[in-house]
Amino acid sequence: MNSKFKTLDLTLGAVFVVLMMIGANIAFWFPAFKITYASGEVPITLQTLFAILAGLLLGKKLGSFSMLVYLAVGIAGVPVFAEMSAGATALISPTGGFLLSFIFVAFISGYIVEKASEPKVNTYLLATFVGLMTNYLIGTPLMYLSLNYIAEIAISMKAAVISMVPFFIKDFIITLAMAVVLPQFVTRLTKAIPTLASRT
Amino acid sequence: MSSFIVGQYIPKESLIHRLDPRTKMMVVFLYVIIIFTAHSFLGYAVLACFACLSTALSLIPIKYITKGLKPVWWIIGITFILHLILTREGDVLFTVIGWPIHEGALIQAVEISMRFFLLILMTTILTLTTPPIAITDAVESLLKPFKKLKLPVHELALMMSISLRFIPTLMQEMDKISKAQASRGLDFRTGKLKDRMKAILPLLIPLFINAFRRAEDLAIAMEARGYQGGEGRSKFRELTYQTKDYLVFMFLIITIILFYLIEF
Repeated sequence: MNSKFKTLDLTLGAVFVVLMMIGANIAFWFPAFKITYASGEVPITLQTLFAILAGLLLGKKLGSFSMLVYLAVGIAGVPVFAEMSAGATALISPTGGFLLSFIFVAFISGYIVEKASEPKVNTYLLATFVGLMTNYLIGTPLMYLSLNYIAEIAISMKAAVISMVPFFIKDFIITLAMAVVLPQFVTRLTKAIPTLASRT
Repeated sequence: MSSFIVGQYIPKESLIHRLDPRTKMMVVFLYVIIIFTAHSFLGYAVLACFACLSTALSLIPIKYITKGLKPVWWIIGITFILHLILTREGDVLFTVIGWPIHEGALIQAVEISMRFFLLILMTTILTLTTPPIAITDAVESLLKPFKKLKLPVHELALMMSISLRFIPTLMQEMDKISKAQASRGLDFRTGKLKDRMKAILPLLIPLFINAFRRAEDLAIAMEARGYQGGEGRSKFRELTYQTKDYLVFMFLIITIILFYLIEF
């Protein structure tokens, strides 16, 4: 990795860490963003979407690096993870793999958009979809490993995958719904912040 | 929302608080590795004593520790129950509603949930006794060797401290934006889920624009003050190891030796 980040890169990456925190806890500010099921409430998190946005807006290198910083801030004890949790335990707990995957999510979605010479709606849809797949393809096996080797609960890979299906459907709908408005989102942002336009 | 405190740090005047943050991080790191090699009750007992001693020395009221453990109680609980009912080793101790509980299952359930509990206890004590900014300094100092591998360690630490500084600012901003948009008639509390999802956009766009503007301003301010990256930069807070840090390391080594004498 080339270690030359510009000063603006550092500050942009740092504010994105805070944006990630807000995205992960959007239901904390707005109780309206909770889906009510028969049995209880599932807060919507925009974590995966924001990780994808990190790749889209900051590029693959800075985007994935800012996700690494996000994890580091969380490990340092600042409640930046979903449901205002923090600490190294968040990483080794069964869902920790999903947190780790954000680094790769940002990298891959950034890579896809950087490859495209002129990003269109389809590019954003593809980047978002691949990003979401990365999230689950890394998160689920790591959940399996965490359950088997840290909690020593013998669970089969198949059971681990099946247990994630409802969450995947929820994230899939939210993330793809947002992907449709992404081009508009990105244009409005780059219009307001010209320095961003030169990056993506 | 104003009562929300960033970080879990509880200021106190204790030995654990005054230790070098690097010492605390290394102790916790070694402890986490060692606990996975524990296989006997006595081994766990030695490690539990170490954790209890650190808790007692930190002078942190128990209620803060239980608060820190709150999100993970269910993991410990589920682990305990699953091991208890799924493991079939040793003699049957008793039956609960027709389900036999084996001796091996009880031992395993206690051991594994003990492991989880101790892991979480030690990491919680670290974050309760160390302010995030001190952890950031420690991360930069401990990761220094990785600079040779071209890992941007200084940048990592700097970005961590910048984001710590921006957390309260942007949270306030989020509050203001939501009130400003509500006063313009944005409704994100009622209606269908689809409409509520759409209402996120008028919140997110100003938030992102605001955040990135702040980032630009900060970058300009930093460069105007001559920021040129990590090379040759001096520090405001210098970390130094003191006698108590060496004593803690010695105590940890004695614990580890005792632990391995018992285990093997």
